Amino acid sequence: MRDNQSEGIVSRRKLLTGAACAAVAAGVGATSYFVGGPNRVSRSLGKKVIVIGIDGMDPRLSAAMMKAGDLPNLAKMTASGGFSKLGTSIPPQSPVAWSNFINGSGPGSHGIFDFIHRHPHEHCKPYFAAAETLTPEGFVEWGDHQLQLDFWPFNHKPAKTVLRRQGVPFWDYLDAQKIDSVFYDLPSNYPPSPSQYGHHRCVSGMGTPDMLGTYGTYQYFSEDTPAAGVREGGGIRSKLRFENDSARATLIGPPDSFRKSPTPIEIEFEVHRDRQSDAVLLEIQDQKIMLQRGQWSRWTKLDFAISTPKLIPNQHASGICRFFLQEIAPNFRLYVTPINVNPSDPAVQLSEPDDFIENVSEELGLFYTTGFQEDHKARTNGVFNDDEFRRQATNVLEERLALFEYAVENYEDGLLFFYFSSSDLQSHIFWWDESDGNTQHPLISSPEAASRFQYVRDLYQRLDSIIGDINDRYSGKATIIVMSDHGFANFGRQFNLNSWLRDSGYLNPRECTNVLVNGDWSRTRAYGLGINGLYLNLKGREADGVVEPGEEQEQLLRRLKMQLESVRDVNGNQVIRNVYRSSEIYAGDATALAPDLIIGYARGYRASWETCLGELSEDTLRDNTSAWAADHCADALEVPGVLFCNKSIDKTDPSLVDVAPSILQEFGLPTPSTMTGQSIYKS
Amino acid sequence: MLTQIAVSLNSIANPIGQVLLAPIEWLPGWLSATLIGVVTGVLMLVVFKYTSNQSAIKRTRDQIKANMLALSLFKDDLGVSLRSQGRLLTGALRLILHALIPLAVLMIPMILILGQMSLWYQARPLRIGEESVVTVQLADESTDAVQAITLNTNDAVEVIAGPVRVSSKNMVCWKVMPIRDGQHQLEFKIGGETSLKEFVVGGAFEPTSQKRPAWDWNEVVMHPRETPFAPDSIVQSIEVTYPQRDALTAGTNNWVIYWFVISMVAAFVAKPFLNVNL
Repeated sequence: MRDNQSEGIVSRRKLLTGAACAAVAAGVGATSYFVGGPNRVSRSLGKKVIVIGIDGMDPRLSAAMMKAGDLPNLAKMTASGGFSKLGTSIPPQSPVAWSNFINGSGPGSHGIFDFIHRHPHEHCKPYFAAAETLTPEGFVEWGDHQLQLDFWPFNHKPAKTVLRRQGVPFWDYLDAQKIDSVFYDLPSNYPPSPSQYGHHRCVSGMGTPDMLGTYGTYQYFSEDTPAAGVREGGGIRSKLRFENDSARATLIGPPDSFRKSPTPIEIEFEVHRDRQSDAVLLEIQDQKIMLQRGQWSRWTKLDFAISTPKLIPNQHASGICRFFLQEIAPNFRLYVTPINVNPSDPAVQLSEPDDFIENVSEELGLFYTTGFQEDHKARTNGVFNDDEFRRQATNVLEERLALFEYAVENYEDGLLFFYFSSSDLQSHIFWWDESDGNTQHPLISSPEAASRFQYVRDLYQRLDSIIGDINDRYSGKATIIVMSDHGFANFGRQFNLNSWLRDSGYLNPRECTNVLVNGDWSRTRAYGLGINGLYLNLKGREADGVVEPGEEQEQLLRRLKMQLESVRDVNGNQVIRNVYRSSEIYAGDATALAPDLIIGYARGYRASWETCLGELSEDTLRDNTSAWAADHCADALEVPGVLFCNKSIDKTDPSLVDVAPSILQEFGLPTPSTMTGQSIYKS
Repeated sequence: MLTQIAVSLNSIANPIGQVLLAPIEWLPGWLSATLIGVVTGVLMLVVFKYTSNQSAIKRTRDQIKANMLALSLFKDDLGVSLRSQGRLLTGALRLILHALIPLAVLMIPMILILGQMSLWYQARPLRIGEESVVTVQLADESTDAVQAITLNTNDAVEVIAGPVRVSSKNMVCWKVMPIRDGQHQLEFKIGGETSLKEFVVGGAFEPTSQKRPAWDWNEVVMHPRETPFAPDSIVQSIEVTYPQRDALTAGTNNWVIYWFVISMVAAFVAKPFLNVNL
């Protein structure tokens, strides 16, 4: 009996102890859930959806690396949820693709068809498709200055950059339902679209200009630059002349916009080098920056004083840049990043609401704000070598990871979207998959190409660990989607569409070097502009159109499609996999600027560099000898993106337009009539 | 002469400042900046009271009031209006004249107080691992010294880069990185001469002297903490680049505006209690 009693007491003790342990464990668990551990997890019970956009992540490479065990976290995600190719846009260019994602619908809804559009009635003057700066209207003159006064009775219209993406972005539906959404580095959203109800925040990404109003203009100072300097696509080179190892240099800033003839605002700085200690001192605007060879400076604030008429105080605009000392002697070389808009004191609106980016900067300090952060232009122009480009790209990635950490730490509930550009811009330079079509890199040996390709693999592994971290934090608490806008392919051969049109008799005269400059519109029936676009010189649409709408247009389109799809390379390979007629693939209210035909190149091919801005070359097909060795502006079927999710993907052929309806469904919202996509989840 | 006076005044202000402003180290920045503003505002008011002709100021203010009354009462009478406006103007000028003596008395203490405050608020100390550029300015005639000067490292600081010798400016720079908290000395050697410069690492608020100045009264006033270099010294000045202090009330450059506003508000609030005519 006693024994029984004793056993009963022990049992009760055990029971109590067990209960206490369970309570403590539950308490610790609950505390860590609500308060967060070393890596904070949101304590909110609200619905959470996290979308990580990895530009250019390729499904073939991802699948191969998962199979080899190199992407354990994505493999885990695939096992617990799903992995699929993600159908991309036609054409598979980032601004088009991300706009498809944003609208949950195709280019006919958002009106972005290429990186480059043209004004057909202004002799096809090209402009960047996603945003356009409108020229000012009206002014008053005041000495050397002219002022735009945008109030009555003047009502002038100052220069303004407008977002050309049309349609309804999916976050507007969340905003209307008071569901928070926050986007970091969202492409195709500059200037940021406004939030009507205040539940949407966004930092603009791809498409955001630098202080010069370009997509990124580096400045490069060296002793071997020609005396007059060099202006090249994406950069400005200046010559430095040293006297007693000191030299003066000038940074080119934004235009002095109030002047009648706006000239760039310049900032002079001094360079002093010490060959003995292998170091350089830069003196700029009362700041001293010392660098050793191979060293990057921190972000440096620059103050640009915009001159104003007398009696009106000067205006100021703040920019930031970093210096990279490449070489001290015998040929001094200094690279300066594009002058970015200062996120702590932005001269233009970079975020919605406009103080959002300032709040981020208060915590993180200064960071890249231009849309294209990895300086691929410096690499393709030979200012960087591979190692230098990789280092700069790594700087960008480190910054983005800090921003990502900020984003996750400050996330409560609703939608969190974060964008990584590294996978795209590093792939453009380092991707070369020799197994893809058994092709040799046009510039470097196979081992070299393989070692560069390894950089892309390393990057995928780095991104995989980030996804692992977010999965660890939010597994079971949030729907997590990892997606890319397109995949990648080698870019070994380039096709000049305008040269082909010339050789086929559609573009004249024979000696034309650029259809926009010395093309004869009266004898030109079709022309290429942008990366994948082919336009007819259509009467009533183009300023000097010659092709009659209707039967002639129809016949010409049919003939062009047939002829282009039959183009073969010297080795017999098909160059163009598909030619799409925009009237058949685009539907919506925003098709006015669509090309007539979209060229879908076969893997390994892309439009030539010259084609993009209407130029012609002697040969139609050439090797691509640029450091930009891989691309995705091929046929959409060749370069799908990736879709990973920690939930089962039920749709068999998901595409970019399906992601927005899926997100809305996760928040209990129906697919709006503005979207053509469908949820990837079962309803 | 002026430099010598500034040096002598600093030698008095530095120990006093060190004691009186010591609480800055452990008070929140906004609170210490507010307290200093309030105290100095009230003190300025008291000094003003005893160094100005209070009865004359009161009389002038009464006259100004009377003329303002006359302006509103006789606004239809052009002669009276013009006379009153003239008297208002002269009254205002007289008030300024009455303030000149107190201003003269207050000027030097205020400069010294601001100099001491700048040591705490104008920059913040370096943190361990935070890089900084140290600049030694040498005398014009010492071209060889540019090559000869050295910076002796110690266990508190590491030289990361340099020296960069800028012959055209007689200037030598190093990039350094602190590795230990505390008030350290950087030691520069040239020939047999040793020059020292304070180097502050650590806490949020510590007196931080950005420059050991040259023998120049203007520089001595702006950088009061360290003894200036003698006029015939090869080393003319040594400057350490400290980070800006980011704060609205006690941050770089903002602190002066905040101090001015708070001291003015405090003076106006205390005015009726201390029975001071301004």
